Amino acid sequence: MNRREALKSVAYLMGSAISATTMGVLFENFTLPEKEKNKVPFSATDEEVLAEFADIIIPTTASSPGAKAAGLGAFIPMIIRDCYPAKMQQIFASGMKDMQAKCLKDFNKDFMTMTIDERQKLMGELKDEAIATEKAPSFFLIARDLTILGYFSSEIGCTQAREYLPVPGKYDGNVEYTPGQKAWAT
Amino acid sequence: MNINTNLKEQNTYDAIVIGSGISGSWAAKELTEKGLKVLMLERGMNIEHIKDYESAMKAPWELEHAGKLTVEQKRTHPVQTRDYPYNEATEKWWVNDLECPYTEDKRFDWYRGFHVGGKSLMWGRQSYRFSDHNFEDNAKDGFGNDWPIRYKDLTKWYDYVEKFAGISGQVENWPLLPDGKFLPPMDLNCVEKSVKERLEKHYNRTRILTIGRTANLTVPHKGRGSCQYRNLCSRGCPFGAYFSTQSSTLPAAMATNRLTVRPYSIVNHIIYDKDTKKAKGVMVIDAETNETMEFYAKIVFVNGSTLGSTFILLNSTSEAHPEGMGNASGQLGHNLMDHHFRCGAEGTAEGFEDKYTYGRRANGIYIPRYQNVGNDKRDYLRGFGYQGGASRGLWHKEVAELAFGGDFKDTMSLPANSWSMGLGGFGEMLPYYENKVYIDHTKKDKWGQPVLAIDCEYKENEAKMREDMMNDAAEMLEASGIKNVKTYDNDCYPGMAIHEMGTARMGNDPKTSVLNKWNQMHEVNNVFVTDGSCMPSIACQNPSLTFMALTARACDYAVKELKKGNI
Repeated sequence: MNRREALKSVAYLMGSAISATTMGVLFENFTLPEKEKNKVPFSATDEEVLAEFADIIIPTTASSPGAKAAGLGAFIPMIIRDCYPAKMQQIFASGMKDMQAKCLKDFNKDFMTMTIDERQKLMGELKDEAIATEKAPSFFLIARDLTILGYFSSEIGCTQAREYLPVPGKYDGNVEYTPGQKAWAT
Repeated sequence: MNINTNLKEQNTYDAIVIGSGISGSWAAKELTEKGLKVLMLERGMNIEHIKDYESAMKAPWELEHAGKLTVEQKRTHPVQTRDYPYNEATEKWWVNDLECPYTEDKRFDWYRGFHVGGKSLMWGRQSYRFSDHNFEDNAKDGFGNDWPIRYKDLTKWYDYVEKFAGISGQVENWPLLPDGKFLPPMDLNCVEKSVKERLEKHYNRTRILTIGRTANLTVPHKGRGSCQYRNLCSRGCPFGAYFSTQSSTLPAAMATNRLTVRPYSIVNHIIYDKDTKKAKGVMVIDAETNETMEFYAKIVFVNGSTLGSTFILLNSTSEAHPEGMGNASGQLGHNLMDHHFRCGAEGTAEGFEDKYTYGRRANGIYIPRYQNVGNDKRDYLRGFGYQGGASRGLWHKEVAELAFGGDFKDTMSLPANSWSMGLGGFGEMLPYYENKVYIDHTKKDKWGQPVLAIDCEYKENEAKMREDMMNDAAEMLEASGIKNVKTYDNDCYPGMAIHEMGTARMGNDPKTSVLNKWNQMHEVNNVFVTDGSCMPSIACQNPSLTFMALTARACDYAVKELKKGNI
């Protein structure tokens, strides 16, 4: 059995345990030729754009610094390169370009020079688009997912937005909760 | 072949133990403590307690990929990635599937860890006794062969291993789930307490809910620290607070000065001596150098995990044992079983919005089997138990609504608005002769060995049981005041529970079983198999505690027989 056939049988075996999109992702993953990297490059400017983009999703608030401060500008491209199969990398990269083209078209400036209000308006449109396409994988969805993942895994997210207890030492399943009390980070 | 007699002497022990996981390390402990010089062989790397648990003390932000797997890890671990246990923080425990392929005649998820400690480092730690219902079911309904032992044969050995390992739990006087020698139980949380009270009242205590019985220490025990409620057991515990080879049995065995541990030692086969009709030792492939070598002993304990051990036995062919060692019955490799799970029900608990948790309890609740007992009759055989629990998680509807911005962030920084409670069934699978493994000589692993082929599936009895696993869960949750109850069946394939068992079963009759009531091979009386492969049936309880008890009992017998000169 050659590699492709072997993979098809794996995909078949995966059955309905895994959702269709995830299975697609896995399939792409395994049909990549051995040596092919298919890594999408990200420039320093891209990282700045992603940091600002993430900071609209999770901004600085009274409680804690936001996504940019938490290092999401570097985290997002790192995860895309290391953890996403080629097809998803390409969806992300081309979607990011489309987003930047939309900025020029709709706001007549590039993303980095847009005001916070303008960026929020843009984000609202991307969100509506994602809902209209029934959450098909897109730059907005991947960037937002990774912002949430990365932020609440970051030191700022865990220790300032939420509260982190490295060694609780005991378990109490019946403690009082006061409204507004932060969640425990895990 | 030239044999260096000095080398032969150097490589000779009283006993060889193949495998260093839960049952293997128990064998090493018992045999060394009884005075034997023991060689414990482990096919993978060494893992030093605490020092080699590199991720154990890492904060979430110290994991480079926030716990996610890389594309490269997915490429090299196509089987291990089929379910959740293999992740960034635990990656070192799980095998590179490309190095040790196997053949799936039907889908079988084979999760493996090659290192000293084996799955004792990765296990779920739930520790339940089998009851006489379980030992008698095969004889009563005719599926599988009768267990050659009953609960009374194992009682004192359960006591013995529990006292050493440290099992926390609550005494319940439930006939299907005998009580043990428990450390203090962990606490139920406020929602679980409420569900327990309402459920037991509704069913007039014909069903009960108890805290999980777990090999996590609730108080310091035998020099080991108690649980710190971090819920990071899967990375290895720097406090030694759960039972593992490294935290418990290995230090005891090492303290005798009679144990030698040899990592990177793949046992290819057991060497049979046709003159004495005994095993004289094992042939080992060094996993790093590919060199082969032999080790010799008076007795051999086979504890390489169910399918690992079965492979070795099937691969140990000789003129006297052409179909594998001890396989005159033709049962070796057959009757493969695993628990079926991943279905049940969940819902939300209202009225607890003013309550939260402190600490992360690596344990849940347990509802022991109540089906097909007394007046409870079902349209399938045997039954299931539930694991589950209540928690106040981190989910907010705004995640799915694609919200963003400051309010979204602040909401996400809070715990979920309500508690949720779930019950997931763990069902018994019947032993079917046709569910089997055999050696596939058309493929080779990294070390040039043939591979195992697995042909196993759940059948009608399991499918019918799954309906009840969902519906009973929903009924119980609703009866307990849980709202928005939804059933689920996420599909299950054999192997997923990592409770594979049964391929070298015990029995009284050598014609229909591989091992006798002492886990001793009928045909080769100095070979003992005490891992999951020995099980004639699997009940619905998590099995590792039973492997421990069977191992300690078999070691006691083996050493007595050795001293009497019978082996």
